[in-house]
Amino acid sequence: MTQMGIYFDQTRCTGCYTCAVACKDWHDIEAGSINRMRITPFERGVFPDLFAAYLAVACCHCQYPPCATACPAEAIAKRQADGIVTVDQKKCIGNKECHAACLKACPWDAPQFGPHEGAKMEKCDLCRDRFDNGRQAICVEACPMYALDVAPLTELKQKYGDRVSAAGFRYHEKYRPSVVFKTKSPAGQ
Amino acid sequence: MNERKYPSDEDVTIVPTGCCHDCGGRCVLKAHVKAGRIIRFETDDGQQPQIRACLRGRAYRQRVYHPDRLKHPLRRVGARGEGKFERVSWDEALDEVAYQLKRIKETYGNSAIFLAGGSGNQGMLHGPIPVGAMLQAFGGFTRIWGVASYEGALFASMATYGTIRTGNSREDLLDSRLVIMWGWNPANTIWDPETSFTLARVKEQGTRMVAVDPRFTDTAATLAHQWIPIRPGTDTAMLVAMAYVIISEDLHDQAFVDRYTTGFDSYKDYVLGHEDNVPKTPQWAESITTVPAETIAALARQYATNKPAALIAGWGPARAAMGEQYSRAANVLCAITGNIGVNGGYASGFMRAYSSRETSSGSHGSRNPVEKGAPPRPYSLYKLRGGTNPNSARIHSAKVFDAMLRGRSGGYPADLKMAYVVAANFINQHPNTNLGIKAFKNLEFVVVHEQFMTPTAKLGDIVLPVNTFMERSDIAPPWLGSPYYIYLNKAIDSLYETKSDLEIVKLLSKKLGLPSGMADLAEDDILRMIASGRGDIDDFETLKKDGVLKIKLEEPIVSFKQQIEDPINHPFPTLSGKIEIACDHLAEMGHPQAPPVPKYLTHETGYDSPLADKYPLQLLTSHYKTRAHSTWHNVPWLREIEPHGVWINPRDAEDRGIGNGELVDVFNDQGRIRIPARVTERIMPGVVNVSQGAWYDPDENGVDRGGCANVLTRDAHSVGGAHHMNSALVQVEPAPRD
Repeated sequence: MTQMGIYFDQTRCTGCYTCAVACKDWHDIEAGSINRMRITPFERGVFPDLFAAYLAVACCHCQYPPCATACPAEAIAKRQADGIVTVDQKKCIGNKECHAACLKACPWDAPQFGPHEGAKMEKCDLCRDRFDNGRQAICVEACPMYALDVAPLTELKQKYGDRVSAAGFRYHEKYRPSVVFKTKSPAGQ
Repeated sequence: MNERKYPSDEDVTIVPTGCCHDCGGRCVLKAHVKAGRIIRFETDDGQQPQIRACLRGRAYRQRVYHPDRLKHPLRRVGARGEGKFERVSWDEALDEVAYQLKRIKETYGNSAIFLAGGSGNQGMLHGPIPVGAMLQAFGGFTRIWGVASYEGALFASMATYGTIRTGNSREDLLDSRLVIMWGWNPANTIWDPETSFTLARVKEQGTRMVAVDPRFTDTAATLAHQWIPIRPGTDTAMLVAMAYVIISEDLHDQAFVDRYTTGFDSYKDYVLGHEDNVPKTPQWAESITTVPAETIAALARQYATNKPAALIAGWGPARAAMGEQYSRAANVLCAITGNIGVNGGYASGFMRAYSSRETSSGSHGSRNPVEKGAPPRPYSLYKLRGGTNPNSARIHSAKVFDAMLRGRSGGYPADLKMAYVVAANFINQHPNTNLGIKAFKNLEFVVVHEQFMTPTAKLGDIVLPVNTFMERSDIAPPWLGSPYYIYLNKAIDSLYETKSDLEIVKLLSKKLGLPSGMADLAEDDILRMIASGRGDIDDFETLKKDGVLKIKLEEPIVSFKQQIEDPINHPFPTLSGKIEIACDHLAEMGHPQAPPVPKYLTHETGYDSPLADKYPLQLLTSHYKTRAHSTWHNVPWLREIEPHGVWINPRDAEDRGIGNGELVDVFNDQGRIRIPARVTERIMPGVVNVSQGAWYDPDENGVDRGGCANVLTRDAHSVGGAHHMNSALVQVEPAPRD
């Protein structure tokens, strides 16, 4: 099995949110509902010694996805061919009945539910519609800074190294998120 | 139209078009159209450099299909500004506009017609351009001089270099050994689509990057190694002190100065204090700027000794009282270090690199009968060509509201009686919005071309619904630096009853008894004519089919390369033929606030002015990542990203008992806005920032709940035309509980 992964270059991210908006446009997601791509701003220090960064996280397509384990309806699965973690909306029983067990299990809030009660889970599937047609994920093609990449995890590691944590992102060994980072730190400024 | 099918959806047609409002980019969008409706966008996935749209372009679908789009012509029924309208037919609406135009022309003359043409559409065919051509054929109109964005930088560029074409290709920064980004935030303002990515590459190759800014902007946080916070309005003092270090330590390039410049000695006299007994030392500047003297001295030495070095002087600090001096001081620093005309250097100035934005439109210049024969404006650089607007029939855009109220008796060239507003949220985007409302209410007639019921459209007597650039065709030249064109292919039919500006002009011209001229031709045919006149579009059909034409240059643009390599045959386009450190044109003006050499000048809204006792916080009105001026303000995908608020340092917030996210009043003698506080260390103490462009939305007490920054800015300009957008003083206090 090939495991697909996501690379994020935190040193390049200007916090422009283009990836997040392109994602909402492509997948036709209303404002104020769900965020398949989540951008978190960070600000540390006291004027004038400051550090600021952004973290962009979609779904980490873990090797051992805690969301799938937590789901009482077996609605979440890993695709055999590429390791993309997908949700079957027909099986998903909605967040009322299971109290959003998948979201609670995920350290990075990848499973997302709309604002209405009983909403079914949605999350990043690496733009499966595009992926299955040989196209790159919309966020990767959108990023004006070329700070995102989606490829087999082994390729990403060869290309970008094997850093798996970043400012604001903690790696969990037991889930093995399929991520590679270039990390921003005050010292690296 | 490109018929390439997207693999997963056989019913989709992909239409290459683009995004062309007034930010610092013009970007590729590919509209996926299904059953006559845009269902999603992609951007440039072609050859490098790709012209990738930012979040604004990607959100365009929510602008096109916004429920608040104006759908049919409207006529005012209540008092002007009350916001009550009735639906009328196009025929009724245009009859009224034609009647009023004729009546005002007959009663007051053409100069009473004010064209409030804004920057909301940057295509070459639509927007204010055809309206200006129509009004010109109708006998003329009054218009503005002075562009809020850049007039100070433009004036300084002309005075120093005699031209606004002073920029380099962005990739040329890869040859720089030091890049200073002064008051420049391309991460938010784009400054040509490839800029931030290029800066990241420059940083990644190890080039030292420094940002000078009162805010720890996204640019400073991401693209700079060092951030130097500086008190707003004092940039000139730091630049002059850098010159002091460079000159007194003999680090300047004397050979360059001798060969290519004029007036160095008189600047030296000012800098060293021979002129006024005040040596402009780093210690002198520290007390003004708050920047430590050693930081100033170190940057000066780095800049003078790491050649080639690029000092990029952004327009923001020039958008301030005495802003011309900042921009002049930066240009002069580039000159005395010999960083001009060489790869990896930079001349600052206005910073246009490629010429494709210069249009030959008839609405510009002296073919307007109202302006014909008007003498040059006093204190203009009227002896220079291309770039300044010396015509005395024009009114500075910061003073239009005052002119509407006082007319000729107030010293203005016209008594304005009507406003023809196109692609402009005029009262929102010009200083002193409350005065603007008063002024618009004082007019006899207001017609507005708009897509939404903006605060300006609300003041219209007739409001004409305009389509978006997804519903018509146009060509967008790029912004300042990149050699490309975008063909905006019409992707969908006009929604509702909307029409393009060009279609409106065609119908109105008939009612005015004017020949409709080019407007009778098909859009594509006019665009073909426009393209053929450019000189750099050699394949119109490919441009149209691909939606983008990237022009290959043999080498990166480096401004003034010819002037430096072959000065005998290529003088600078100044009066002296040299870079004017001291400018004779300015000397002739004899105005104390436009001295021949750049000087740090105090003013009535400075941090040290008496007014600061009452209003101790300096207000910046920056651009915002989710808007281009006031465009996109109402788009939900962008509104949810970062709510509009006033940036305030925790020390200032604590002094006032203000917590993050709490509603506060920001106010001065001109007005009051009520918005949430964004308490952040990313702005220096003593300074607050309200990004411009949020829509004015007053409550019953006249408190603007929308947070329009121009409620607080002054309707003033400096001698060279610099707007005072970043020079207002304010106070902030917790909002009263409702």
